[in-house]
Amino acid sequence: MPFAAMGIAAIQAGLRAGEFSAREVADAALARVRETDGAVHAFLEVTGSLAHEAADRVDAAIAAGSFDELGSLAGIPIGFKDNMNLAGTHTTCASRMLESYVSPYTATCVRKTLDAGAIPIGKTNMDEFAFGSSTESSAFGVTRNPWDLDRVPGGSSGGSAAAVAAGMVPVALGSDTGGSIRQPACFCGVVGVKPTYGLVSRYGIVAFGSSLDQVGPITRTVRDAAMALNVLTGRDERDCTSQECTVDFTANLNAGVAGMRIGIVPAFLQARGLAPEVKAKVEETAAQLQALGAHVVEVALPNAQKAMSAYYVLGPCEAFSNLTRFDGVRYGYCDPGHEDLGSQYEASRAVGFGPEARRRIMLGSYLLSSGVYDRYYYPAQQVRTLVTRDYARAFQQCDCILAPVVPTAAWRFGEKSDPTSMYLADMFTVSINLAGNGGMSVPVGFGADSGLPVGVQLIVPAFRDENMLRVAAAIESAIGQRGLSPLVESKGAVSFGLRGDAR
Amino acid sequence: MRPLEDVLREWEAVIGLEVHCALTTLATKMFCGCKLEFGAPPNTHTCPVCLGLPGALPVPNQAAIESIVLAGLATNCDIMKRSMFYRKGYLYPDMAKGFQITQGPVAFCMNGHLDLAMEGPGAGERVDLPQARERGAYATRIGVARIHLEEDAGKMIHVGGGEGRIAGATHSLVDFNRAGTPLIELVTRPDLRTPEEARRFMQKLRQIFLALGISSCSMEEGSLRADGNVSLRRRGSDGFGVKTELKNINSFKHLHDGLAYEICRQAEVLEAGGAIRQETRHWDPHAKRTVVMRVKETADDYRMFPDPDLAPYDLTDEFIERLRAKLPELPDQKVERLQAAFGLAAYDARQLAEDAATLAFFEDGMAIAGGDARAVAKPLANLLLNDVAAAAAGDGSFDLAAGPLTPDRAVELVTLMAEGAVSSRQGKEVLAAVLAEGKDPRAIVEERGMKQVSDAAAIEVVVDAVLAANPDQVAKYRAGKTGLIGYFVGQCMKATNGQGNPQVINQILAEKLGATE
Repeated sequence: MPFAAMGIAAIQAGLRAGEFSAREVADAALARVRETDGAVHAFLEVTGSLAHEAADRVDAAIAAGSFDELGSLAGIPIGFKDNMNLAGTHTTCASRMLESYVSPYTATCVRKTLDAGAIPIGKTNMDEFAFGSSTESSAFGVTRNPWDLDRVPGGSSGGSAAAVAAGMVPVALGSDTGGSIRQPACFCGVVGVKPTYGLVSRYGIVAFGSSLDQVGPITRTVRDAAMALNVLTGRDERDCTSQECTVDFTANLNAGVAGMRIGIVPAFLQARGLAPEVKAKVEETAAQLQALGAHVVEVALPNAQKAMSAYYVLGPCEAFSNLTRFDGVRYGYCDPGHEDLGSQYEASRAVGFGPEARRRIMLGSYLLSSGVYDRYYYPAQQVRTLVTRDYARAFQQCDCILAPVVPTAAWRFGEKSDPTSMYLADMFTVSINLAGNGGMSVPVGFGADSGLPVGVQLIVPAFRDENMLRVAAAIESAIGQRGLSPLVESKGAVSFGLRGDAR
Repeated sequence: MRPLEDVLREWEAVIGLEVHCALTTLATKMFCGCKLEFGAPPNTHTCPVCLGLPGALPVPNQAAIESIVLAGLATNCDIMKRSMFYRKGYLYPDMAKGFQITQGPVAFCMNGHLDLAMEGPGAGERVDLPQARERGAYATRIGVARIHLEEDAGKMIHVGGGEGRIAGATHSLVDFNRAGTPLIELVTRPDLRTPEEARRFMQKLRQIFLALGISSCSMEEGSLRADGNVSLRRRGSDGFGVKTELKNINSFKHLHDGLAYEICRQAEVLEAGGAIRQETRHWDPHAKRTVVMRVKETADDYRMFPDPDLAPYDLTDEFIERLRAKLPELPDQKVERLQAAFGLAAYDARQLAEDAATLAFFEDGMAIAGGDARAVAKPLANLLLNDVAAAAAGDGSFDLAAGPLTPDRAVELVTLMAEGAVSSRQGKEVLAAVLAEGKDPRAIVEERGMKQVSDAAAIEVVVDAVLAANPDQVAKYRAGKTGLIGYFVGQCMKATNGQGNPQVINQILAEKLGATE
């Protein structure tokens, strides 16, 4: 089996058995990036020397017989979304504003994977500051969907999803504010987990919507996601919204779904804009789960439709505030030649931020201004409470909700040119962030019409994330192992946007 | 401009204070683990959090929350069971995140008050109060609207201009050591009516914060500073005039003088038919006037909203009660105790309570005096508040705690005076000698032969001699010119080399001069 197709267990088995070294694993991943990323452009920076250092530590541990003390990601190549700080590397958030910014510190989630022996391959492309659902708003070029290079990989964690789908890394981290892990995972035919808010530390993740952001793994298998979660989760003293976690996410993966109550939201399946092939996949999956012994029940989320409006108020408000720090004074883009601070600020931010970032900043600035705040921000918080209660009520009737992830399969570049139609792609994902629940996307095959990957979404009550992994594992084994994306041959040299050691 | 007393006869000043106090006694900053240290080399106590680097998150300092709850309890506030941190947007290079973390409509401490006992200079300015007019003393209650917790900004240093000012500077530097320093901001209700009340309020607040141990309260280092809002209204009116704000006042005197100036300036403008503009002004202590810093035409829009990185902060009853039990004796309680335990007058007790070193000295003295404490209390208080204070005023280096005057010696001295062994005039001489030579009062009295003569028989001899030597004066006295008694006492004191007991001399003189007729 080529490295590119291996999951965590296969790589670690090979390392334990001495079939290959961690150095070879690292080199194979770096080579795969060189071969395929010219076409995909999943990475903004490749961290070859950090990868080698990490691999050599793993090899030293193998030699010393202490491999099993390293942690459950030992020897596993990993990619990090470029909004995650890793000391000594760029953290650009795919923005001109931070093009030259080098992190002086490391995010907790990144640190945890490195401490667990993971091999850092690089930083992945994204929508600028995570604003978007297609990775088209990256200032450094789009990422292409490995299943069809003319299509978007989804976003905002499009680079992470594409890197995993293309076999460059078995694990990549993404962040999800309104669907940014689940939606690209769905488009790229891989597993993407948005854990319960508070399960993974946000320290060191460049904030978009602080009350909504959550870090999670993108992998090719459910088990790999569970193993990554075992490393990522837990209380961090540096993030006071993070929580203790002692769950072993791999423990119940084979427990099956017999007796579990699976909720279906009829209104979701009747939603305008939902592609028939996506609807069919959700219904097929429900039937499959029922055949496996689960009880499928209908549940209602009466306020879910309002969630979109609330999300597009609260998200921009928090984003506006979080992005105020980018003033170009101490770091970041500083427009030259200004006589006074005000015009320097204005020009630096006008040039440094792309159109979607500017749009959300202006929106947030307006929504928080006095007189307007009471009419938008406050009602949006009330809607948030209603949505949270809806889920609480629904979860009295079921253990896990089965829903679409995105209304359609991956679209073509430029297809959604007006922002609102892009925003509507988030209609099934944002309410989970508002409520703080766990949600994930698991691939269920290919759309009957598009032939493209389609996933389904599993949603669980806060801090019951192990239950969605258990359902996902049952779906995965019922459907059978998927292959890698039929990635076309690398078109020429590694080209645009690649920086770092691989350049 | 007319003098303040004059202005205040027709105008009532409405004053509110915003007092900022840096919680300097804490080990670390408000939202990160960086050390709090005044005067460290620039940017040596910084981290991703207080530098506002992308991705960093705040974690509240629990000790700061204990400090603000103590401050709230000591100022009779309601402690809010749930309050929240808010983000206050502000784009300037000294605020690294582009917003300040502060509190919203509900602060940790709400609706408190402090009582002021006013007397002495300035008390008469409250012409609206009969007690103030008649007795020159009154009590007033000042409402505390709220006390909230927030973080300080970094410090801007402007280079190339005059005196570090931004005007004319060629470039500016930022020191982020101060960024993230925990600050409490106390906002009073507009209940203060004179500059003297404002000064006394600040002084009292400082004593309380010092007693609580939550801050160094150093006005020079800026750990305690105030903004004063003031407006005028005609006596008898209850509306509010347009206010001006005096920013960043860092001494009690400046607070008083700045407000006094502003009151007089506003009165002059209003009396000339002008209008007060809502503006921020700066007190220039050298020029002795206030100058405009900026005019506020519209209210600033800070785009405040609850900080999504910080969950609502809940305080339990248990937490609050644990802190209540930790409250030290506060200035008002000290005053009451000094009055009750030692029979001191309220004024003396307050004076003693104002200075921790003086109070400690006094209390040591009381312990030494033991059973005689009540008898010794007043003369010891007088010695400390008048004679020692006068000595201390003469030399800035005076340190009561380290000085040659120990509580033992002070008690010995006032006991000598109470016994009549030395006169009060001799007492001052002995005190000076103790301070200069570091010897015990009794030894000094012995050495200098300063013993006061109180023996009636010995004094009678002197009195007889003085009267015999001044027959004309005696005649005049007896003819009704009783003021001459002072002359006779003086002559007797002279004849005893100042050692005669004035009381005994007086008594015998009165007997002799009255008896002969």
